[in-house]
Amino acid sequence: MKMLTVRDLHKSFGNFAAVKGVSFEVEKGESYGLLGPNGAGKSTTINMITGLFPPTSGEIQIKDFDVIKNPKQAQKWIGVVPQEIALYQTMSARENLKFWGRMYDLSGSALEKSVDQVLEIIGLTERAKDKVETFSGGMKRRVNIGAAILHRPELLIMDEPTVGIDPQSRNHILETVKRLNDDGMTIIYTSHYMEEVEYLCKRIGIVDHGQLIATGTLSELRETIGDHSKIILTIDKDGSTVAGLAQSLTSLFPEKDIQIQDHQLMVFHKEPQLILTDFIQSVAKTGTGITSVDIVEPNLESVFLHLTGRNLRD
Amino acid sequence: MMKFLWLALKDLLLVARDKKALLTLIMMPLLLIAILGSAFGNMMKEDEVVSIKKFTLGVANLDKGQLSKVLTEEVLSKDLSKQIEVKYYQEDDLYKKIKDRKLAVGIVIQDDFTTSLISGKGTKVKLLSVPDPGIKAVIVQSVIEQFSRSVPIEAVVSQMVQPVQAGIQNGPVQEGYGKKPLLKETTIDANTKPVSSFQYYAAAMGVMFLLMTVVQSVSAMVLEKEQEVFNRLLLTNLTYPNYLLGKMFGLIIICLTQALIIIVGTNLLFGVDWGSSVSGIVMMTLAFVINASGLGVLAGSLIKTEKSFNVAGMLGTQIMAALGGSMAPIYIFPHWVVLVTKILPNGLALQTYLDLMSGATFSKILPAIAGSIALGLFFFAIGLIRLSLERRGKYA
Repeated sequence: MKMLTVRDLHKSFGNFAAVKGVSFEVEKGESYGLLGPNGAGKSTTINMITGLFPPTSGEIQIKDFDVIKNPKQAQKWIGVVPQEIALYQTMSARENLKFWGRMYDLSGSALEKSVDQVLEIIGLTERAKDKVETFSGGMKRRVNIGAAILHRPELLIMDEPTVGIDPQSRNHILETVKRLNDDGMTIIYTSHYMEEVEYLCKRIGIVDHGQLIATGTLSELRETIGDHSKIILTIDKDGSTVAGLAQSLTSLFPEKDIQIQDHQLMVFHKEPQLILTDFIQSVAKTGTGITSVDIVEPNLESVFLHLTGRNLRD
Repeated sequence: MMKFLWLALKDLLLVARDKKALLTLIMMPLLLIAILGSAFGNMMKEDEVVSIKKFTLGVANLDKGQLSKVLTEEVLSKDLSKQIEVKYYQEDDLYKKIKDRKLAVGIVIQDDFTTSLISGKGTKVKLLSVPDPGIKAVIVQSVIEQFSRSVPIEAVVSQMVQPVQAGIQNGPVQEGYGKKPLLKETTIDANTKPVSSFQYYAAAMGVMFLLMTVVQSVSAMVLEKEQEVFNRLLLTNLTYPNYLLGKMFGLIIICLTQALIIIVGTNLLFGVDWGSSVSGIVMMTLAFVINASGLGVLAGSLIKTEKSFNVAGMLGTQIMAALGGSMAPIYIFPHWVVLVTKILPNGLALQTYLDLMSGATFSKILPAIAGSIALGLFFFAIGLIRLSLERRGKYA
């Protein structure tokens, strides 16, 4: 069953096209990741899906409801975790959750029960009476998530929910999201952290410059780069200044599989162990010192690099 | 409970926990009361010994009764002989003298002055003056008002049906120097009590503080709109009318609390008389707060950033306070300005409070109350339409 259908979504702000023809579908119970660098158009896409922004053109459907024609009907099924902390700082965690629960028409014992459950899920039962302003960034983020799941939405949309927090809180949030998804909640998770998306999402869409440039499971995306691993040689000089280095490497490997960036030389290959010795020797012949050798298995970072020629966090 | 009430309660909770907001809400009015007490309290004492340069009052007495004689011969000519020199004229001559600026102030005592006072139909005195008579007209008006009240016919006074406050009855005479009026004609009524400077500034400052509270609350509303919480609110089941109603309801409660502190505080600590019509004071306060809150909510829906609102809010409050009479007495403004400023929530409120202080009854200020509430609801409706259009525009 389709939980979300997005078709040929466009959004322009004046002359600037922020989203250009994005289309994807999310099945019920699925966890779908939108990966892309800052400014790629992820948040704009999310805002259109939630009904906050209308698209310039395109279609969005949550379950059977048209988000553009009837946003309030569609919004009943979703919970949204915004990128910023959308809470009242001088209210306690419990007060915040109760307030947001009421905004979702919860009341009485159902509200109390839901607040208690959510506090437990986000691991803040002990700090429920403390004001949000006294919390760490990670704890605030957890309450931010809690406020979005009080009404048990079928679709949880999370826009970069782990920005700027410590690793422990990040792990807690990732575990929480995983558990919610395991319990049947459909998740859309946007991030520019590929590790999070790799860990949480069964299917991933890569967004860049307002376009969905690839979509699929992690293994399907790896296939787009031929499942190539990356050999990284760190050298003692700027690679672009070493005479004959580029020529020597090009003669060994097809040009598109080589990258020289400052003190790093990178080669992509399906079986790196077969070419590693030749690679090292050809570098050594130019009189360049090698300070380290790394082999990186293909991941979303390398997929993004392959598709765009840029690193995800550039 | 409806969602707008929860939204309002949330706003009240946030204000209660905001020390800065509480300071403005409670401490500042109390401080204001203290300043008013020390500043205007002394001024009022000085009022008793202030010396006024003697001036001539022209009198055209058409009344043959005893009370006009007492007023002119005993009160004006004898009791106030150090301040006023009374000269008698025929009515036409009196008009001419004032038009020609040979006299600054004059009164025409109507032929039924005595009988009207006795029968309870109110006084029949026309106050004539040059357009800029200064303090002279105010003195004469006060004397006549005091005299009319002191006429020991309690039963008669209670039956008076004439309006109680001074107001222009006929239009200014348009001749002489171009279109500038040469003469101002005012009818003086019996029940009008003079408003002291303390009373005036208690009302004026109170109204200004309430405006400032509205600005502060709306600033918080605009800030909320700028932040992600507003978007999060829009994604819940909260509708636009509920959102604006919640904002306005919270604002009304906050303002009413402050108004209560100002009115009760000035009354208990300094004996400021806000008038005998408690229902009038309560309803006018409620009406003013609805009006100001409606205007505030409209501003909050129109302005997108807190920064721009703070600039506009500060400027707007100052202008409204100045035009509405909070900084300088409205008496110094031309009459048409006083009328025009009634469209401002604070201008209308201040003038109505002054009416109440002068002895106006609830029924007399009912149009002001209705007008104030209507304006507030109008502003609210425009704000709602504006928010709806903004969303519809987005989806167009």
